[in-house]
Amino acid sequence: MTFQDVLLQQIINGVSLGAMYALLALGFTMVYGIIELINFAHFNIFMVGSFFALWVMQAMGIVGQSTILWGFPLVGVLLIALVVTMLGTGILGVAIERLALRPLRGVSGTAPMITTIGLSYILFNLILLNVGADSKNYSNPLPQLRWEIGGATLRLRELMLWSIALILMVGLHYFVRRTKMGKAMQATAQDQEAARMMGVDVDRVVVITFFLGSALAGAAGLIFGLYYNYTSFIIGYSAGLRAFTAAVLGGIGNIPGAMLGGILIGLIESLGGQYVAVRWTDVIIFSILVLVLVFRPSGLLGAAAPSKS
Amino acid sequence: MSLPPVARPQRNGVSAFWEKVLSEKWQARVAVTLIILAALFPIIDNNEGDIDAAANATAFAMLALGLNIVVGFAGLLDLGYAAFFAIGAYTCGILASYQVQPDWSSFWEPFQWLGLVEHLHTTTADKVHFTVSFWLVMPLAALVAAFFGVLFGAPTLRLKGDYLAIVTLGFGEIVPIVARNTPYLTNGAQGLNGVNTPKLFGYSFGVMSTPYYYVGLIMIVLLIFASMRLKDSRIGRAWMAIREDEIAAEAMGVNRTRLKLLAFAIGAGFAGATGTFYVAKLQTATPEMFMFPVSVMLLVMIVLGGMGSVAGVVVGAVFLQLLQSWFLQDLTQGVHWLGQVTGIAFFERIDLVQSIELIFGIVLVIMMLYRREGIIPARRAVTALTVAEQAAMPTRGADIKGPEKLHHRAVDLAKPLLEVRGLRKSFGGIQAVRGLDLTVMPGSIVAVIGPNGSGKTTFFNLVTGLIEPSGGQVVLAGENITGLKPDAIVARGAARTFQNLRLFANMTLLENVLVGAHARTHAGALGAVIRPPRVRREEHEAREGVLGILGIFGNRLMPRIQHLARTLSYANRRRLEIARALMTEPVLLLLDEPTAGMNPTETLELTEQIRGLRDRGLTILLIEHKLNVVNEIADKVIVLDHGEKIAEGTPEEVHRNKEVLSAYLGRTAATVAATAS
Repeated sequence: MTFQDVLLQQIINGVSLGAMYALLALGFTMVYGIIELINFAHFNIFMVGSFFALWVMQAMGIVGQSTILWGFPLVGVLLIALVVTMLGTGILGVAIERLALRPLRGVSGTAPMITTIGLSYILFNLILLNVGADSKNYSNPLPQLRWEIGGATLRLRELMLWSIALILMVGLHYFVRRTKMGKAMQATAQDQEAARMMGVDVDRVVVITFFLGSALAGAAGLIFGLYYNYTSFIIGYSAGLRAFTAAVLGGIGNIPGAMLGGILIGLIESLGGQYVAVRWTDVIIFSILVLVLVFRPSGLLGAAAPSKS
Repeated sequence: MSLPPVARPQRNGVSAFWEKVLSEKWQARVAVTLIILAALFPIIDNNEGDIDAAANATAFAMLALGLNIVVGFAGLLDLGYAAFFAIGAYTCGILASYQVQPDWSSFWEPFQWLGLVEHLHTTTADKVHFTVSFWLVMPLAALVAAFFGVLFGAPTLRLKGDYLAIVTLGFGEIVPIVARNTPYLTNGAQGLNGVNTPKLFGYSFGVMSTPYYYVGLIMIVLLIFASMRLKDSRIGRAWMAIREDEIAAEAMGVNRTRLKLLAFAIGAGFAGATGTFYVAKLQTATPEMFMFPVSVMLLVMIVLGGMGSVAGVVVGAVFLQLLQSWFLQDLTQGVHWLGQVTGIAFFERIDLVQSIELIFGIVLVIMMLYRREGIIPARRAVTALTVAEQAAMPTRGADIKGPEKLHHRAVDLAKPLLEVRGLRKSFGGIQAVRGLDLTVMPGSIVAVIGPNGSGKTTFFNLVTGLIEPSGGQVVLAGENITGLKPDAIVARGAARTFQNLRLFANMTLLENVLVGAHARTHAGALGAVIRPPRVRREEHEAREGVLGILGIFGNRLMPRIQHLARTLSYANRRRLEIARALMTEPVLLLLDEPTAGMNPTETLELTEQIRGLRDRGLTILLIEHKLNVVNEIADKVIVLDHGEKIAEGTPEEVHRNKEVLSAYLGRTAATVAATAS
């Protein structure tokens, strides 16, 4: 393969990873935008999502990569897996908000963040204790279609992931910009008190935000499984950290910023893996996080530095 | 110093017992008893396994004490604390093992002579073997870890605290990765081998656990001592102030960046020293020993015990360690037995030892929801004043006419104390302050009035450095202070109160006021721990000063000196803010609506007290909406509207000014008023 082919291939890979990180980053950024909380539970809601999707597909009789589907059955199976997973993780997110985070709303200091760490740890260990520590082979009904573009390969898998991510992001964008609830979300993010006085039910906005963010994390979980053909209890940690970096890079609280940041982080991961070394990827991404915080804490698209305390 | 006695409630039975146990006299006795018991432990329980578990537990108690300084005292959530533990461990591993062996050259000879390296003759080449003594490595490792703490803490410290959490999380993630990827230094995933064992007076510790246990115990006692001393010092109070309200802390003279870095570095240093101890004990180090679960476990220890509570943290650490090594095994058997008896298969299968991390997660959530202050809270609630104490007649202005000046600065009475020239500030398109000029002569009371949104508070924020001006100059006593940080401006003699009250809610009145002394006292972290005579004197003087200042408000604040600020009434909070600002010994005091929310009697009382402050050498700039207060005490009134000065003069002059009337009442009403008069 020539240099261009390798580059193209890594860009294809990077955009696929980036689509996943972007979906995950949206959850961080939306919750932060509304209640200024870094939700560490989000890391493992994503991980649980990838298991939900696996279980749904197994329940439909698709085990491993041996069952290949075409046409409507394929779309149907993926759609069911996606919708059920997103509902599942969405409800999980709402439950977390209602049971553990709402009582702490307005408590200053580190308490809410510590709670999300505890929740994240609970999810992590529940999965570990139930499915064990080994990686699980993922169900994947996608046919092995591939197109050669020069020396690079574009698989159906990637096209599929791109379209899922694109549809979800366009849908979210439409929701936030055009619907009444979306406008209420924007208003709450700007000024909670003012929004409340204008008749916005802030509690409901927070619940919807958690639902949407967690549902997107579930979709990202499914994408992870389909892309890598495995899942494990441990995937939430590094993917979550990358997605958070993406959210900061794009500008925390900024929805288009999270999408842009996600794609950039995906590209950095694939190109860094190619041209530096895979084992240093985490270090590169962490360095980006620190550099962004030092030189441009408002992120690429963010308006103001998150400096208020 | 004589403090008024704090009323203790009469309780009976169990709570009376706890009251007694937790009283200060008893705390000391309980602590000494526990230390003696801990010292006798290896003799009583002669089981090597138990002693080994206990020696490991000491390491985690040390780590928890270090993390408590960062999380508990300074309120900075550090999720990668294990990384500093790792850095200490690998520093030790490199300086005292067979891991790194450069080629021998004459460069190493002086080190050989100092006993830091050995000349290693192998069959192929002559190599260097590092043999730095454990007792030397430990402080060195602490320094290295502290250095990394500063390096990675610095970028995030000016941002919201959450960012520190995520950066430390990332740092905690990459340090083990770097350790795995640099086998030359760390031997990668296989782990270090052949770490030298500590020697003391020729006695090598070897592989027995008992000597390590005692070293650990001594280190814990030292760390407890250091933590207690730090907590009750200038440094500890500044940390707590930052935790409670960063902006107010800064406005009271605390350099928040420096103090946060200090907390971060001290915490990291504790972890580095512990890393050395742990590696020397285990004789190895692998990247897996320092992963995220370790950081979480430490967090659980301090959350369970009580954030900021030294005793609580030790109890939390010891309890969780014992839980893991002893109790859970027995509990699991108990649950299995229960399962067999009741026939519930779930109980028979459950393995609590495996579920320890799940239990950690549950503990974190439960504690945060139901008992955020932990098992042993850092503060016990002080009982409210009795009816009799409350009903005591407030003595108004008791010490107010005291002869002494409230500050020790030389002020040139002939020159203006504050000069503001062409001060401007715009927020985006809005010009909040546009080209403001004013002078304040020493010993005067100047009132700033104006309609809401006229830029009064912005003006205060510009003078005290909370926001940076877009243009213009602020000169205090001949020195240009434009653009200085708030803590630097406080140090130069301008202190303020806040319109919307920014007290340190979870600190006592005494501590709140003592924070005010931060900028003009000097004790550093080391001084706070060792407490040389200079520091003792400084602390004593500061406490005396607090009593003097609280005396200004008669018995409003004095009886509540040990109460938490959040328990105060609204008017008392305003008084406490003034007291805190006075403690900085300002020449210029800026009061932002000091009488807001006070009833007429209280307003009158405070008006007199403000005049008293002027008589004791202060110059006062105040924002006030109550015009009777302004008329009563102001020598000069400045009227702002839309960020501009529209009038200046004595209260009478300003009252007659047409522009002022129109700004307050609108044009038509002003015309009416003018015609009527």
